[in-house]
Amino acid sequence: VTVLAYGVAGWLFLVGLAGIVRSRNLIGVVICVSVVQSSTYVLLLAIGYRSGAKAPILADIKGGTPVVDPVVQALTLTDVVVEATVAAVLLALAVQAHKRFGTLDPDAMGELRG
Amino acid sequence: VNVLAPLVVAVPLLTAALIAAVGRFVGGRLADVLALAATLACAGLLVAVLARLHGRIEPVWLGGWHPRDGVAIGVSFTLDPLGVGLALFIAALMVLTLIYGSGSLDPEPPHVHVLALVFLAGMVGFCLSGDLFNMFVFFELMSVSAFALTGIDIDEGAALEGSLNFAVTNTIGSFLAVIGIALVYARTGALNIAQAGHVLDHGPVDGLVVVALAFLVCGFLVKAAIVPFHLWLADAYAVAPAAICIVLAGAMSELGVLGVVRVVFGVFGGPVAEHADAVRAVFVVAGLVTAVLGAVMAYAQDHLKRMLAFVTIAHVGLFLTGVAMLSVAGIGAIAVYVVADGCGKAALFACVGIVQRRLGHVRMSALRGRGRELRFTGAAFTLAALIAAGLPLTGAFLGKALLDDALTHGVGAWAVVVAIGATALLGATLLRAAGCVFLGWRSSAPEGDYDPLTEPQPTTPIRMWAPTAILLAAAIAAGIVPGVRHAAHVAATQATAHTATEHVALGNAASPTTHGALTAPPTHDWLLSLLTAALAIGLAAFMLGREGLPRLTALRAIHSGRLGDYVAVLCAGAAIFGGAFALALQ
Repeated sequence: VTVLAYGVAGWLFLVGLAGIVRSRNLIGVVICVSVVQSSTYVLLLAIGYRSGAKAPILADIKGGTPVVDPVVQALTLTDVVVEATVAAVLLALAVQAHKRFGTLDPDAMGELRG
Repeated sequence: VNVLAPLVVAVPLLTAALIAAVGRFVGGRLADVLALAATLACAGLLVAVLARLHGRIEPVWLGGWHPRDGVAIGVSFTLDPLGVGLALFIAALMVLTLIYGSGSLDPEPPHVHVLALVFLAGMVGFCLSGDLFNMFVFFELMSVSAFALTGIDIDEGAALEGSLNFAVTNTIGSFLAVIGIALVYARTGALNIAQAGHVLDHGPVDGLVVVALAFLVCGFLVKAAIVPFHLWLADAYAVAPAAICIVLAGAMSELGVLGVVRVVFGVFGGPVAEHADAVRAVFVVAGLVTAVLGAVMAYAQDHLKRMLAFVTIAHVGLFLTGVAMLSVAGIGAIAVYVVADGCGKAALFACVGIVQRRLGHVRMSALRGRGRELRFTGAAFTLAALIAAGLPLTGAFLGKALLDDALTHGVGAWAVVVAIGATALLGATLLRAAGCVFLGWRSSAPEGDYDPLTEPQPTTPIRMWAPTAILLAAAIAAGIVPGVRHAAHVAATQATAHTATEHVALGNAASPTTHGALTAPPTHDWLLSLLTAALAIGLAAFMLGREGLPRLTALRAIHSGRLGDYVAVLCAGAAIFGGAFALALQ
């Protein structure tokens, strides 16, 4: 399972980057950024995974039962919050860009050169 | 110290929340005052923290979660003179930014103040953090507020475009960093820098360690804008309001360099020390390529702020060569250089802001000779240009001379020759701009009619010229105030003390005190520096004697302003750095 999870993380990372490079639409760019970030969620969770272990809610299980690493889960949650902030700012910029340029194609803006 | 350190981050954040909550009811003036008061309080707290640190390292365990048996279980600030000093510098720059910007940045509703305070909290927290994941969180906090501050003039198309390029490339940089952090955690089970470093010291240097190092370093180098990760910076700084550029150019890029310092001396101190020569080669080449490319691209610019953006890139390249020396001398040199040069660059942006207000334009070709009446601004710009060229008796001279010595000892005189060439070209480029705009000497375009982009204002208010003068005074003072070399030595010694920091940060030992100072630059540095300044003036005269700017078609094509291209180059750069580290740590 774990090898597959690392593979998924790597795939999401690369496919998201490829999407950002190829995208002709700012909303698409924002979604691809989220895809890249998803790879970090999968990576973090895979790092903390233990085969056959329980969810780390220690109140509900007997002492001594193996649990998956709660630290990476906390990190993932923080990462999700960060991602939400970044996506909000990017989407706000995309809305303004559409108002200003009348298009969402990042290559059609081109006021900055050289 | 223990009590005050968390307040340094909390005060700006809470004030930002307060302004966001009540700002629309109380008006922009009060928001100005509140934001300035919070920033001054943050700076004051940092002075107190620094004074009580006595040049030592001190961990602050938040929430009282102290290490047990030398194992970190909580989250800490690890205070060291370098981090606290840089944080203080940032807070001071933010004070000047707020003064400079009050009135020119739209205060109603006071979004700028909220963003500026969050930006400050993120940067300061990043400097103090002793925990990798918290570094990432503070990094994101400052990045997101910087994206918004850059694009704050939403009526400007270029501002939106620059902000978008900035946001997407830097967000990818943060992902690189967070992947590196995850891999470090996978290997060491620790997020505390000292704890992770301690485990890595005793473990094997295998593929995982190399990949983690490459991801973390690349993540921070995106923020530092090292070639080939630099493309976003020219766009972002060219469009950000001048007031924001003071703190962006003066401090934000340098935080990427601080991140690299934390990575190569803290987390990976053990593995890097084993392969010091090879790692040094990677960083020196990256730094010098950045310095030269930045200088050449600055030379090719007509847009003054974009020119200064490339100057910033070139200087960060020089700072990276200082880190590359992996020595007390190298870090000490850039500690001085960052402060002096940061003040000088901030003053340049401040001057351009004044030019923009008075003349309504920022293109050299449109401004030629129109700045003749701006005598103070012209003098200030010229002085700042000479500081950028490393004029003797300024802080930039001291920093540059110390860096040259460190480079000579670390890799050899050829690196110094390249660095001097880049510095002279930068100085010449800036002097050419001064000659063209403020004296009407020949360059780029004929003197003719021009349409101001914005309505020219008849006066320069004191809130704009006073911060400019203070910045210039600080840039000079950093070179002549006694004790600078001692302070830099202490900061560098503690920042590079890998094993000692681990023991102190994990509560196993008291922090050692350090003595001594970096040796004063020898006579030949004075001669070299005068030579650089003379070379800069000569080159400037040569440039002013020619019509037009160099074409550099291929180089300009790389800086295309296209987001997709930037991300593709970023990925290629990360792959190159990854390969280089794999070879270096073999």
